[in-house]
Amino acid sequence: MAGKIVADTLEHSTAGSVDTQFVVNGSAKSWANFTGTGTIALTDSFNVASLSDEGTGEYETNFTNSMSNGDFAIHVTSDANTSNDGFNRTAGGSNNTTAKGHARHYESGSITDTSLMITTVHGDLA
Amino acid sequence: MDTPEFQGTHLWDRLCWAKENLEAYQSEYRVVYEDSIDECAKILVPDPNWMACALQGGILPPVWVYWELAKDEAQPDFKKHTRGYLLHQTEPVEAMTEEQAIEYLIMKDCPQHVWREWNTGNKPKMVICRKEQLPSTREWRNAWKITEELTVTDLAA
Repeated sequence: MAGKIVADTLEHSTAGSVDTQFVVNGSAKSWANFTGTGTIALTDSFNVASLSDEGTGEYETNFTNSMSNGDFAIHVTSDANTSNDGFNRTAGGSNNTTAKGHARHYESGSITDTSLMITTVHGDLA
Repeated sequence: MDTPEFQGTHLWDRLCWAKENLEAYQSEYRVVYEDSIDECAKILVPDPNWMACALQGGILPPVWVYWELAKDEAQPDFKKHTRGYLLHQTEPVEAMTEEQAIEYLIMKDCPQHVWREWNTGNKPKMVICRKEQLPSTREWRNAWKITEELTVTDLAA
């Protein structure tokens, strides 16, 4: 690929240096921003082939480049549909396979659809 | 824009190129399928950036690569992928039409037992439709309602 730079270390003039493996390992490997109510739709993403609406408040992002193993980290944030904003609201994620990440949204203890869902995945790529 | 020669380039790098150079494409197609009769129907939504890659050609690996990785993962002693090179070394697929891209996506992201036997049994397990054909109510997605409210005939219209 044109413009390729091969380097093991990045060094700042005064602030020290960092191994490029920190950048590679620390970068998000997939992210998605989508609307989870009505007929769901992806707004933007990276390394996502499709989104599955699995049921009320449950969604799966299917990766284009699979993860190396099932131990990757998925972080999920979501927007509240009601005045629960900031209270009684949770967003959870799980990773059942290397090919997809599972996300859920809860309000007041019940799983429910949400207007905005954001997922981020860190880990090793296959 | 021509796609660079990507065979041998890490798939991640190809996606970076696509994100920077291709315009996302929002498909109007949706796939409704029943994975289990004990669960509600599910909806598969194509990713706009992925669709751009599929329409462009020369970026995505053939779908059989994902099946091979899934086979490896199904092994009881699976720890991590050792054949990830299949994603990066296999010759990328040519440009697809939107309809071909949806078929590819079904074979990649829907369970095989759904798309291999979608029309066996009492009723179809899967339909491809347009976004506007999907009612937004959750009640509609109760399993066993696909043929009652969205028939194959409707899709051909």
